[in-house]
Amino acid sequence: MSATTCVLDGFGPLDVARPGSVNELGDLIRAATALYPFGGKTQMGLGNAPTRPGVAVDLRGLAEVIDFPARDMTITVEAGMTLERLRGILEPENLRLPIDVPESTRATLGGVLAANVSGARRYGYGTLRDYVIGISALNDEGNVFKAGGRVVKNVAGYDLCKLLVGSLGTLGIITQVTLKLRPLAEQQALICLPSDAAQLEAILTSLSDSRTRPVCIEVLNRSAANCVFGQAALKAPAAPWIVLVGYEGNGDAVSWQVQQLVKEVGAHFGLQARIDFTTHSLCCALTEYASTAACALTFRASLPPSRTAAFCLQADRDAPQSAVRAHGGNGIVHGHWPGDLTKEQAASILTTWRERAAQVRGSVIVQRCAHPWKQSLDVWGPPTNDIRLMREVKAKFDPRSIFNPGRFVDGI
Amino acid sequence: MTTAVATPLAERMRAVVGPANVLSSPSDLLVYECDGFTIEKNQPDIVVFPTSTEQIVAIVKACHELGVPFVPRGAGTSLAGGCLPIGGGVMIALTRMKRILEVNYRDRYAIIEPGVVNLWLTNHLKPRGYHFAPDPSSQGACTIGGNVATNSGGPHTLKYGVTVNHVLGVELVLPDGQVVPTGGPVEDMPGYDLTGVIVGSEGTFGVASKVWVRITRNPEAYRTLLGVFETVDDATNTISDIIGAGIIPGALEMLDSLILQAVEAAFHFGFPLDAGAVLIMEVDGLDAGLDQDAERIIEIAKKNHAREVRKANTEAERLLLWKSRKQAFGAVGRLAPSYCTQDGVVPRTKLPAVLKFIQHVGVKYALKIANVFHAGDGNIHPILLFDERDPDQVKRVLSASNEILDECIRLGGSVTGEHGIGVEKIDFMPKLFAPDDLAMMLRLRNAFNPDGRCSPRKMLPTAGACIEQSKAGRHAAM
Ligand SMILES: Cc1cc2nc3c(=O)[nH]c(=O)nc-3n(C[C@H](O)[C@H](O)[C@H](O)COP(=O)(O)OP(=O)(O)OC[C@H]3O[C@@H](n4cnc5c(N)ncnc54)[C@H](O)[C@@H]3O)c2cc1C
Repeated sequence: MSATTCVLDGFGPLDVARPGSVNELGDLIRAATALYPFGGKTQMGLGNAPTRPGVAVDLRGLAEVIDFPARDMTITVEAGMTLERLRGILEPENLRLPIDVPESTRATLGGVLAANVSGARRYGYGTLRDYVIGISALNDEGNVFKAGGRVVKNVAGYDLCKLLVGSLGTLGIITQVTLKLRPLAEQQALICLPSDAAQLEAILTSLSDSRTRPVCIEVLNRSAANCVFGQAALKAPAAPWIVLVGYEGNGDAVSWQVQQLVKEVGAHFGLQARIDFTTHSLCCALTEYASTAACALTFRASLPPSRTAAFCLQADRDAPQSAVRAHGGNGIVHGHWPGDLTKEQAASILTTWRERAAQVRGSVIVQRCAHPWKQSLDVWGPPTNDIRLMREVKAKFDPRSIFNPGRFVDGI
Repeated sequence: MTTAVATPLAERMRAVVGPANVLSSPSDLLVYECDGFTIEKNQPDIVVFPTSTEQIVAIVKACHELGVPFVPRGAGTSLAGGCLPIGGGVMIALTRMKRILEVNYRDRYAIIEPGVVNLWLTNHLKPRGYHFAPDPSSQGACTIGGNVATNSGGPHTLKYGVTVNHVLGVELVLPDGQVVPTGGPVEDMPGYDLTGVIVGSEGTFGVASKVWVRITRNPEAYRTLLGVFETVDDATNTISDIIGAGIIPGALEMLDSLILQAVEAAFHFGFPLDAGAVLIMEVDGLDAGLDQDAERIIEIAKKNHAREVRKANTEAERLLLWKSRKQAFGAVGRLAPSYCTQDGVVPRTKLPAVLKFIQHVGVKYALKIANVFHAGDGNIHPILLFDERDPDQVKRVLSASNEILDECIRLGGSVTGEHGIGVEKIDFMPKLFAPDDLAMMLRLRNAFNPDGRCSPRKMLPTAGACIEQSKAGRHAAM
């Protein structure tokens, strides 16, 4: 085991351990006072900065395929595997994990699960919690525990998979995952609806009522559109707002939906359709965008979907330099800044966002920011009403508080 | 009406919910001694019917003070004994909390009280073209609170997912009386996904007093096909091939020859009585594209030697087909005085193996076993026919069930796909999970229900570990 050091989210240097087996990882846990697991480090900026000295654990040494019964449409793999490698294994069997993950050549399953990464197509396919059917992890005593299984339907025992997905590595170290898979889409289409501010909510409402069934509804303001289209080497249509509507399915279903959408909204708003392979670069740009330099500072709001348009418009009006991008059907709004804001400006925008989100019982987190700012920007915001229970769960699972101490909500 | 019992517990309960919402006489309690799992029975000391969250809080606080266990109950259709009041105590029946509090079509959620019957919600949403996706065969009776507790499935969960994929939040009354809302209509609230573990906790974490559910748009159209096969193998190969071709049908249900006889006698659908197995194959969604899928399914079925593939040509035909499927359990009553519906899961490709095994078990124990199940998910439901007046038959049914479930585990599956562990399958937990797995599950339960007062002795086996408090076993006959 070679050990160097690293800095995590501005904290360090920390010794790095690279366990090559679950047993080695177990030994590390038993000896640890604080452990900071990592994979491709694509999400290491999420959460409060570490404050307690400990060991950073590189989990990329655990990256084997355990079992891939393709005809059962499940796969069991170790958590250090990158998403790109997983894709390479699944695609020849016409299968996929339909989650949009940026930087998939680096991002590992374990990290993506812990951070609960999702993207545009969550509107059509849901999020990781809908695909993890079995999980193995190491507990605070360094022992393996598992939950779920390898079959797509299973209600035996408490579903610890749900608990570990999105727990930011604070309850145990995920070592192995069984995923339910989906077939690749036969065809894709992305439709670009330019809009002005006044029409935005009407478009989103009409998409919600549309006879078509989109898999994604992305809202982009001018700067976000320039960025996304630019990355795809395309020119964004000249409009203050762009709504990108995605369809997937068999050929008949996709072409009918494109025509239908043209009928439903085209007459009012004017649109551009991209079908099949021409969608690829734009889809990739949508996925990768969140990880670009343009997003050095990122806030993420969770809102009722019906409030998305109003929230986006206000955000754009308050700070025209911001890139605003939303998963319109899910009520998730991202605000991005390339990093040219002052800390005070950032704090003031965050406060405004939180006030507005709170009015509709939503929330705002700081998804990315320069780590020194984390002392003054409250990353997770005020805790939700179930925080006591969350603390109780954390105390039961990690009584010594060794797993990513302090990094999650309310300093868990 | 028999006389009500006057104990301190009963008096407390009457004070909380009013005398009209309490049952305490032995004859009234008889109904509540078991749910759909009838092998074990025990009467609660009292049944209370709260009508508000506040009342639930007062009830569990009283239980806390008096040190008596309590168990939540919905419609009592559990097939795993989830409602069995072990150690007596208070049964909290949620059936009078049955209001649909809010429906928001734009944001696609509904807020409901736990006693709302599954089908009521779907019927309520129908005029606007929406439904609640989990559709257990018992949906005309079971409550959404019960669905949440058991993480129910149904024929259409292959494509649409099970209950947990459709629950956004829960208001949970913890055993100490705290009311904790988890999740809600807004996605991705920061923190642990407590909703995700409350769903499927089989009533052992507290009482769900309110539920936020996702509502789903109805498919625009269906193509419902009935494939008739000489052998079970041909039918299961068809299933694998359909899914392998990238088609996710709304439902893929299999019925074997024995169940066909019962269903045909009851509903006269016109099922072929000499077939080895039939498959109900339904694709749904937008009208466009469905013919393409249906054609491919027919092709695949033919390739796998289907004797014929029929199409449900009218909505009436489709509904009759589904009625035959969903009420198949009821129709079994024609075949034998009693039956036991098992619930197991295997990887889809292991269906031929497990069905052969079931056949062999039937011969070994001289039992008739009918099969009607969610084939697309690999979720089997062998129905063991017997006469419960004959103790020897009862013994054989239990042994046969155990062998089938052991085989599911051996084939890499699980002992329950949707009915739950409850008391029925508790002995299988150590076969399915290692001690460390169970220990972590216990840690989770202890975060919610540290004294084990809420639905004691369910889900996790007690042997070995210092699980559940001992008081729970005591009858509250004070
Ligand atoms: C004919 C028949 C067909 C069936 N078909 C299916 C099927 O296709 N799919 C399927 O999944 N199941 C099926 N079932 C099983 C059963 O209907 C489901 O498990 C259902 O979800 C139970 O709902 P219920 O209201 O009857 O709950 P109950 O039986 O009353 O309770 C079930 C469990 O939930 C707990 N509980 C109930 N309400 C609450 C609450 N508010 N808060 C906390 N805990 C609570 C109870 O303590 C118990 O552990 C079937 C049963 C029958 C009899």
